[in-house]
Amino acid sequence: MTWQDYTHDMQRCTRCSYCKWIPYRYMRNTDFIEGCPAVARYNWHAYAAGGKFNMAYSLLQGRIDIDDTFLDVLYRCQMDGSCDVSCKVQQDIEPLQLMQELRIKCVEEGKLPPPHLMVIHGLRKEDNMMQSLKSDRGKWAEGLDVKDLTVEQAEVVYHAGCRYSFDKELWPVARAGLSLLQKAGVDVGIMGAEEACCGGRAYELGCSGEMEKYAQHQMETFRTAGVKTLVTPCADCYACFKVLYDKIGRELGIEVFHITQYLERLLKEGRLKLTKKVPLTVTYHDPCHLGRLSEPWVHWQGKEIKVEGQMIVHDPPKKFRRGAGGVYETPRNILKSIPGLKLVEMYRIKEYAWCCGAGGGVIDAYPEFAVWTGAERLREAGAVGAEAIVSACPWCKRNFLDAAKETGNDIKVYDLIELVEKAI
Amino acid sequence: MKLAKQEYRALEYIVGKEYITQEPAILDTYNQVWGNQFFFDDKHSTRPSAVVLPASTDEIQAIVRVCNEYGILFKAFSSGFEYLSLALEKEKGILLDLKRMNRVLEIDTKNMRAVVEPYVSVYRLQLEAAKHGLYTGRIGVGYSAGVVAAECCHHGCQHTMVFTSGYGRNVLGVEWVLPTGEVLKMGTGESGGELFSADGPGFSLRGILRGRTGANGGHGIITKASVKLYPWYGPAEWRQSKEPGEPPSRGQLPEVPDGYKVFIPTFANIDDALEAAVEFCHAEILYALSIGMLGTAVPPEGNDEEWAMLQNLEAYPEAGEVSRNSLVLIIGGQSARELQYRQKCVLAITEKWGGRFLPHFNEPEALARSFVDMIWSNGVPALRVTGDFLPSSSSPDGSPDMLKKLAEREAEISRRYEQSGAFYSVRNVKRGISWRPEENLSTGAQGISVALYDPYDPASLEAARRFISELFDPRGKFQRFGVPARGGCLQIESVTHVHQNWGPRYDNYDLWLRKIKKMLDPKAVADWSAYIPPDYPHYPQEGGYVLPSYGKK
Amino acid sequence: MAEEKELAKIVGSSHILGGVAVLDDYSRDLSFTPRMVPRCVVRPGSVEEVQGVVKWANHTLTPLVPVSSGAPHFRGDTVPGVGGAVIVDLSRMKRIIRVDPRNKVAMVEPGVTFAELQAALEKEGLSAYMPLAPRGSKSVIGSVLEREPITMPGHHWDSTDPLLCAEVVFGTGDKFRTGEASGPDTVEEQWELGRVQMNPFGHSHVDFQRLLSGAQGTIGIVTWATLKCHYRPELKRAFLVPSPSIEPLIELSYRLVRYRLGASLFILNGLNLACLLGQESGEVEKLNRILPPWVLFISFEGYGVLPEEKAAYEEADFRAMARSAKLKPAADIPGASAGEVLVRLAPPSPRPYWKLRFKGGFQDIFFLTTLDKAADFISAMAELVPPENTGVYLQPIVQGTGCHCEFNLYYDPAEPAEVDVVRRLVRLGGEEMARRGGFFSRPYGVWRDIAYRRAEGTRNMQRKVKGIFDPNGILNPGKLCFEVKP
Repeated sequence: MTWQDYTHDMQRCTRCSYCKWIPYRYMRNTDFIEGCPAVARYNWHAYAAGGKFNMAYSLLQGRIDIDDTFLDVLYRCQMDGSCDVSCKVQQDIEPLQLMQELRIKCVEEGKLPPPHLMVIHGLRKEDNMMQSLKSDRGKWAEGLDVKDLTVEQAEVVYHAGCRYSFDKELWPVARAGLSLLQKAGVDVGIMGAEEACCGGRAYELGCSGEMEKYAQHQMETFRTAGVKTLVTPCADCYACFKVLYDKIGRELGIEVFHITQYLERLLKEGRLKLTKKVPLTVTYHDPCHLGRLSEPWVHWQGKEIKVEGQMIVHDPPKKFRRGAGGVYETPRNILKSIPGLKLVEMYRIKEYAWCCGAGGGVIDAYPEFAVWTGAERLREAGAVGAEAIVSACPWCKRNFLDAAKETGNDIKVYDLIELVEKAI
Repeated sequence: MKLAKQEYRALEYIVGKEYITQEPAILDTYNQVWGNQFFFDDKHSTRPSAVVLPASTDEIQAIVRVCNEYGILFKAFSSGFEYLSLALEKEKGILLDLKRMNRVLEIDTKNMRAVVEPYVSVYRLQLEAAKHGLYTGRIGVGYSAGVVAAECCHHGCQHTMVFTSGYGRNVLGVEWVLPTGEVLKMGTGESGGELFSADGPGFSLRGILRGRTGANGGHGIITKASVKLYPWYGPAEWRQSKEPGEPPSRGQLPEVPDGYKVFIPTFANIDDALEAAVEFCHAEILYALSIGMLGTAVPPEGNDEEWAMLQNLEAYPEAGEVSRNSLVLIIGGQSARELQYRQKCVLAITEKWGGRFLPHFNEPEALARSFVDMIWSNGVPALRVTGDFLPSSSSPDGSPDMLKKLAEREAEISRRYEQSGAFYSVRNVKRGISWRPEENLSTGAQGISVALYDPYDPASLEAARRFISELFDPRGKFQRFGVPARGGCLQIESVTHVHQNWGPRYDNYDLWLRKIKKMLDPKAVADWSAYIPPDYPHYPQEGGYVLPSYGKK
Repeated sequence: MAEEKELAKIVGSSHILGGVAVLDDYSRDLSFTPRMVPRCVVRPGSVEEVQGVVKWANHTLTPLVPVSSGAPHFRGDTVPGVGGAVIVDLSRMKRIIRVDPRNKVAMVEPGVTFAELQAALEKEGLSAYMPLAPRGSKSVIGSVLEREPITMPGHHWDSTDPLLCAEVVFGTGDKFRTGEASGPDTVEEQWELGRVQMNPFGHSHVDFQRLLSGAQGTIGIVTWATLKCHYRPELKRAFLVPSPSIEPLIELSYRLVRYRLGASLFILNGLNLACLLGQESGEVEKLNRILPPWVLFISFEGYGVLPEEKAAYEEADFRAMARSAKLKPAADIPGASAGEVLVRLAPPSPRPYWKLRFKGGFQDIFFLTTLDKAADFISAMAELVPPENTGVYLQPIVQGTGCHCEFNLYYDPAEPAEVDVVRRLVRLGGEEMARRGGFFSRPYGVWRDIAYRRAEGTRNMQRKVKGIFDPNGILNPGKLCFEVKP
């Protein structure tokens, strides 16, 4: 679909402003009821999803152009999908998809905020979103005795993702994830320096062509490698492989797991046992891309019809993705089974979790906004009495570490992999 | 229309660069509200010249003074979630987005009041007040309505009005920036005391603050309000939850909270249901009452799911005839004895009128859903069904007997539109009669009726306009029932001309309103779209009847 | 004289009163308001006549002073503020136009008294919302428009209660019907439609009835009003809760009013209870010696589908609350029985008016506060005024969000020294209470200055509103913040 295909949605946005908040029925602590970081931070209605509908409609009618303000409003957004969940409690419209298509349109017109241009340039050159050298990609795994899938075969490919591959501070987590699989006797390998970006973040920036390219590449790579299963510790990559590729009609042809899902399986099968105590009070942060954004894509072709006079329905019926199909219980199940660990929940969780702040390109183009968003999340973690915040995505961990440092918050920041490692 | 440089700078100086904009991309997110299409044939109303985000009464006062100086129209809003909240009558006009004025300043547990800034939403206050054993009534448009907007500026009919009143009856104090830029604090607030009375000395200026509806920005900006709270018998906190995999709309309480009970009796016919409703109100036992709108059904995820349920009416009994004749009765009690007495009354009156408790309406989860809908709201699903709804199209308030006649008369008209397919109507289900009682029915009730139409379907839109024109024609079938002026909603004077058409038949009230407007706003800088203009512009007329002006901004 | 001939054409010459004795009666009341002899008294019998008088007054620029209650008056609001005024005595308009038991609404003209209304309501199973033992000549509409607090706080939703709608003649001479009463039909035609003039809101953006309530007749002259009524109970029970100090009664009162338990509820000091119960001075003094310093009165009324159960559970919950406050309610206490008080709440006060019984004269100081501040005001007043001659009456209002706090200064009007002291204390006491935060929402007499000194914005706005509804300033000039026009 193109952005104009969402004209119905632009028209139907009523300005209820539910997109600014978590769904009302889940509000509990009035300090933590906002859902959209952008409008919470910048106040103008334009920053909310409803504002994007308005902007799109004005653009459609030729009332505005894509200028710097338009770009700023559109890209100062983590594309986290909180608005989408909240809106769809009440409506049958697609705020996130419309914002995605607007970004695609901007890119088609050659308009992208300069920091993103740099990142995409790097991607095209070095196959990663971290403006780093491709040749350095595999360094995170140096010293690990692991199959090189460029020359060997394995059942499972462990796809680290760009953030884990090049963020040195996070290497121990990536390594630990791989080690856990090996400890469990999984036949696993890595692509090393030949691992390429999934293309998901590029797509989120509006570079749909890039993701097409990488999807094609990944399909061929995994076919050649003969793997049956992909496991990734990165939530962004997971959502990309699982959902976005499906959206654009690309089948990887292999099973895709986020590491938390695979670990849960290993634990159930008894191939990993959590025996050591981890005496810690933690709260779990749902990464957007493992949560609401990983809900399987729903393909639908049909038309809008009217019944009972004026009720708007679809033929065939259209199943809207409202966020419930994301991975929420698996990480919690794992944490609950770690001996000595106490799990406390924040006020904004699961489908309506507050974003870590990194997504949608914000960490690159608007770092202070990313940090602000992350700091808000850490404040919430503190408010529920957590000593540590646990996530399952390197972008979340990176942003929380940065936010903690910036704001002098001494809360511990873990990835779930680390806690499992401690408990083995 | 762009502001002149010095006008913009004057405003920028007040709020700071970060909090003023005249960027078209942003301005056009402030002129698209759900009702615009109905009035203007365009989702866009007049683009504001600028939007500002003030943080304080001082800033607002200074802004209003600038508007007076330069002749700039202004209007403030909080959630803006209303039929036509952001329309401006002139091209040179600014909007004040009150998002930054978001504090709950005080909750006085003992004297049962809260003092809030304009952006505080009803649900937020409900969450806060519950910790103090207090409650503010649930507003029609749901969670996100501003407390100040509901109580002072707009309509403020509360679904729980039987217990929590509404229509500005709960205003105990106000800080009001007048269109001249002066600040008026009423009652005890003016003498620097606590905000427990807005009345006097002498007669109460609440009289010109609002009536059955507020001024919707037409006479300045309310920057603070003290509102009466009511006892809350429930828990200090609650949690709505759902099963994994269920859509977010499915979240609910597992049962009605302690301190409350919900009963949903069904009667043999609507007359018995209505008589029973009157008796329930007069028994002074209710926390909330709903006639015919039960809220027991599992909220459908979306329209397609709702359609599937409707096709299987057995699975969606609320859509059937039986719900028409049913009541939702919510009772609360500060003691087990009180709750028990109220329950006994419910059972006795139900039995008296031949009511019975159908299991599918009265099982715990259904009752819990009904409770949530009445007490906190499920939002406004009507907007999803067709894209728009016409709320209580005529609906003056009054006695149940009058409201029944009114509803029947209106139903005759709506039936025509429903049968033609111009409006939504569930097949084979007769229109119900419903009203919301106020103060145990001691001031009457509010009539409720809703017509759902599609504003983007030209035939449906045209039908909706014809329908409203029929109801709003003072020469027509409703001329004796009262002025259909809800304010905001469908009473946009420059389009529906309600004041101009109905005033002469109703004690020339519009002349007094215009004098008040002129007195409050000598330079006519407060936007009057949903209020009254100081003087009526020229509109085409037909023998003294001012014709509706749809499609003209 | 020519002008008075015009008046005679409007109301009929038999309804124009003059003469020294009559005019003297209207020139003063029992407050310290300076005497001002009116020009004459007119007694209109219909809204048309009222309209005629008002139009005449505009034409001749004659001040009008509307009066609906009979003498004695106590507040000064019926004494002309300026010379040459015409009293508009509405006591001829005495119809109880309609009693609607289904909707619990009564429609009355201004001359109707509480006794008359109660008698009519009783036949329909209803009862009026009463202030505390009003005098027999008190007009119901007069009381309601003055915002006299009713004794049933759980039923007091808003400061205007029990007022619903009204027909009014504004100072311009325009007739107007507020709220649901408005429209092209006569009221009789409205009744056919089921419109019973019960919904007070509007029109639209203005609550016109709020501009009449508390206005002391300065905005318009009300020619009828509809009022909320309540059910006449099938059974009643009442209790007194004595206490040596006020604080525990205040706490108990908060709990009761919060949950709207009980029907009538108020607090009196022993002296005021004695005045209410005693027939004459000696008896008042005797009772005062026996009665406790403070008493809370509460009644429970049984009506509706389960009247016994209603009264029973309310009483049981009340007893539990009293127990936890370590208070002991009783049907009888030394010197008084709750039943005796109960009997005095439905009808108006028998003569002499209860506040006159102790010493023959009284002056009230009353204002609004919140109940939690009442004890401080009581202490402060006790420092100014000898408590042995001061009655105290606390009435929770607006469902407990506020409290009418009233002090009654009893004195012998035949003793000049006492008169002087009380005259001074009315001002001094008012000043001190206002300084401490007492809100003089009903600014009679010397409280005008006290109240409006702290309400400049309100004053300015009220003058502008007055300019709309009474541009020539003919209605009760000199009252509220409205100066006499030169």
